[in-house]
Amino acid sequence: MVETSFQAELPPSLTFSPIALADLPTFGPRLGQIALHRQDGSAHLEISTPNLMTATSHGVIPHLSRDHVNVTKAIRWVHVPFESFLSHTPPIPTLQPGPHPIHRFLGYDPSQHIVSMSARDPFDGRDMPANGKDFISVYCIRGVRKITPNMWNSYTSACNPDVVTALSDTPFTPPPHSQKRITKSIEKSSAWLTDILQAQSQQVLAQGVSEHQCPDISVPNVRNVLVHMAGSVTIQARQAFANSLLEKLDNRDAEQLAPLRTLDDGVAGYVFDLMPLRAALSAKMISTSEILPGLERGAMSVIAPNAQQQHDTPELSDLIQASLKHLPVTKPRLVNSANSPHEMLRLIRDVGIDMIDAHWAQSAADIGVALDFYFPTLNGSPTAIQKCVGPRVRPNGKADLGHNLYDIRYARDHSRLAANYRDALSSQALTGNSSTPASLICPCPTCSPTIGAPAYLHHSTVDHYSFAADSSPAQPSNFQPPFTRSYIHHLLHTHEMSAHSLLVMHNISVLDAFMAGIRTVLEGPTGVEEFHKHVEDFVNCFDEDQVVFDEAKVDWAGVGRARGKGSSSREEIKQALGTAVAL
Amino acid sequence: MEFEILARCHTTNARVCHMKLPHGVTMLPTFIPVATQAAIKGLSAQQVEALGVSLILNSTYHLNLRPGTEILKEAGGAHRFQGWRHNLITDGGGFSLVSLNKSARVTEEGVLFASPSTGEPIMLTPEESMAIQHAIGSDIMTQLDDVVHTLSVGPRVSEAMWRTVRWLDRCIEHHQKSEKRESQSLFAIVHGGVDPHLRDQCLDEMIKRKDRVAGYAIGGLSSGEKGRTLIKQCADKLPADRPRYCTGVGFPEDLLVCVALGIDMADCVFPTRTARFGVALTFHGPLNIRLKKHAKDFCPIDESCPCPTCASGTSRAMLHHIVTVETAGAHALTQHNIVFQARLMGGARGAIMNGIFPTYLKKFFAEYYGQAGYPEWCVNALNSVGVDLLEGKPDAKVVPGDGAQWEYSDTA
Ligand SMILES: [Zn+2]
Ligand SMILES: [Zn+2]
Repeated sequence: MVETSFQAELPPSLTFSPIALADLPTFGPRLGQIALHRQDGSAHLEISTPNLMTATSHGVIPHLSRDHVNVTKAIRWVHVPFESFLSHTPPIPTLQPGPHPIHRFLGYDPSQHIVSMSARDPFDGRDMPANGKDFISVYCIRGVRKITPNMWNSYTSACNPDVVTALSDTPFTPPPHSQKRITKSIEKSSAWLTDILQAQSQQVLAQGVSEHQCPDISVPNVRNVLVHMAGSVTIQARQAFANSLLEKLDNRDAEQLAPLRTLDDGVAGYVFDLMPLRAALSAKMISTSEILPGLERGAMSVIAPNAQQQHDTPELSDLIQASLKHLPVTKPRLVNSANSPHEMLRLIRDVGIDMIDAHWAQSAADIGVALDFYFPTLNGSPTAIQKCVGPRVRPNGKADLGHNLYDIRYARDHSRLAANYRDALSSQALTGNSSTPASLICPCPTCSPTIGAPAYLHHSTVDHYSFAADSSPAQPSNFQPPFTRSYIHHLLHTHEMSAHSLLVMHNISVLDAFMAGIRTVLEGPTGVEEFHKHVEDFVNCFDEDQVVFDEAKVDWAGVGRARGKGSSSREEIKQALGTAVAL
Repeated sequence: MEFEILARCHTTNARVCHMKLPHGVTMLPTFIPVATQAAIKGLSAQQVEALGVSLILNSTYHLNLRPGTEILKEAGGAHRFQGWRHNLITDGGGFSLVSLNKSARVTEEGVLFASPSTGEPIMLTPEESMAIQHAIGSDIMTQLDDVVHTLSVGPRVSEAMWRTVRWLDRCIEHHQKSEKRESQSLFAIVHGGVDPHLRDQCLDEMIKRKDRVAGYAIGGLSSGEKGRTLIKQCADKLPADRPRYCTGVGFPEDLLVCVALGIDMADCVFPTRTARFGVALTFHGPLNIRLKKHAKDFCPIDESCPCPTCASGTSRAMLHHIVTVETAGAHALTQHNIVFQARLMGGARGAIMNGIFPTYLKKFFAEYYGQAGYPEWCVNALNSVGVDLLEGKPDAKVVPGDGAQWEYSDTA
């Protein structure tokens, strides 16, 4: 068929190139490159992996204005859960005119940001009404809504994100889930993947026609479809779902999906949402009659991972491996809701995960924690530089992953946020040592603010007296002193929203430097070996119990209560976390 | 402080001035955004200066409670503490104290109040107010004043006015003796309630002290017609070679009237507070972004606005989706509203420079109130300086009272 050959000519726009493909093991740490070539010829984006994805709430990165998003270079891939837009029918972003509607509506720059979309917020583990035969239950500000595969196809088609996760039938009813339920979940998830791939190929056909008739028309991407790996916490179920992706398509599907031979041929990558897995795992471990306080799922766990939940990476790795065992190693593997850098390292080491969301680092900013850790941990850690006090060391000999800036100890601490990273200004001032590796500078707008970016607004013909024509912000002389711990301590205690903006930019940047550190180690000649060693060092060096988060959580809640904003409903807490402070 | 008048309006009392302070030049007239706790809501210092703002206000009362003067001194002053490179003004502390602290009691010595954190009694004296502002390091300091309720009448008003004059002397005394007398400038605050006679007496006393006062604030006046008559009275009498600062004025129409009456600067939480309630200011009147009618509107707040929100194409629909839900919604509107105020005042500076300020006033009021009708008090106040908003508009509607039937409401 003519159409078939046309389809075959269109390359997938998202490509993943693992480095050293020849002997790439099924599991184990790996380096790679994700490249996005959009069909409309707009900017070509590349991301070295392992790397991070920035999480959003209501489509925005919490606490960041658009200018702050644009100057935070660690923000490259932005993931947008779509459910918050379902309060309107049709959802408002689907009505956005112009090319790249979802980028445009939310203010992400197509030349800087890859935007991916899923129906549900991967971090939202709240109990939900059951999914139906042909819909899943989703949550928006007006309550529960239903979304069908058809709706999802039409919304994603209208929004035109760079990457889409197919609908997945993940149960959010209280666990445990019966075998029958899990079987259904697998069947529906694979049927819904078929649906979106079909819609995709129909769109490609339509696109071929329109392209012919009017070459200038804005061409939608072939959307890159990710699949969430179903099967919950049952190894056999996960394997069964993975196998369904590899099965040769039956006649009817084969015709509609040509030239795909299997569903997997149409899949751009594999997604693992850890939140529902953790929930099902803990349900498996404790009898339903004794729900421990602090173990209830849902919004509260947004604040900080509970100690009981922490060290479940081995179980999670087993589950993820069960899915990936027979799937091609050449597709990117994405994880949502890893709850510590330790877990991220283990997932990279034991599975070979390529992209991990930054939700953990972002939510640390909600509770006043400034991250301060580095990978690989250096012998003679750099914490002594410049009288900048490093994170607290706990009785177990391990250092905190950051600073709880609510703590009174920071009231008079006028140093920059992280001991492990210099700020650009002081780094410049280091005489005779102009060679500070860039990786040891936190480039975030909190630690290394610049002025004059992009240009001062002038409001009258005499404003040049106040703001002379400014040199470009790229000028190194435009670096300003870092914002200090004492200032953010003050902002937190006075409920100023700026505290969270400054912390979010910093925390995402620290996680970005952590990922860069991982890549640097892996790039070495004996990278994998070195990496294993450094992971051990990191685990020994930094506190995985995250006591500092628990302390921050208490202070955060205390400051809220002192202000008469105490509340107990989960929705209110989630709301508060979205905004962290009363508006 | 170096202060120079660059241009005067040929009709009204408006003027353009060049005010040079230790942290640079601020062109007047200007609006001063309020950073009560050393931060403009949700923004960083770099973001604020990028908006073209060169003067912000910190609250003396608040910064004294937190972080306190010791920490401010350690940090190298409030400029360094908040990363602000431009000019900074602080209030005397009297107004916030009396309006926020129920326990505040005024004595001749100073204002006695209970610490909100420990409950222990604290006395804010004029000297202490100066010491706090010295620790803050503001370019412009304001004297401690004895604040009475706006509409008060009777002997308390006169007592407060005379006490404010005595406190000014104590502030001057303390400031002159300090090593900061060169680097920080002190403003007096004219009081006298709504009694023109008292205002006059206060003006006389404060003008006597002109050589040791860098500028004059006009305190204790509400918006509306009566307040504006008194502002005109003060502005007319104050020396031309000193800046005139009107506290607590922030509605756009009010700002322009004040400029026409001869005011150089004004501060108010209004534009940033109203942003948090979802209101965007525009030259065609304010928009309550929370209203349903904006849900599918893909236009920015104002196509011609250079603020980061409008310039990046943020639609009203997007703002409607996040406003009052995500802090980023408040940030976006805060940036826009600060730029709106800056454009409004920048437009006034430009028009005065070009000799077309009366035209600018007429155009602004026609666009802002064209449909809703002109507030009568604005018409009258501008008439008093020779501008007739209704000239050539026989059909124009005039709304009696204080006007402003806008979407300002936060309950919509
Ligand atoms: Zn930083
Ligand atoms: Zn704007």
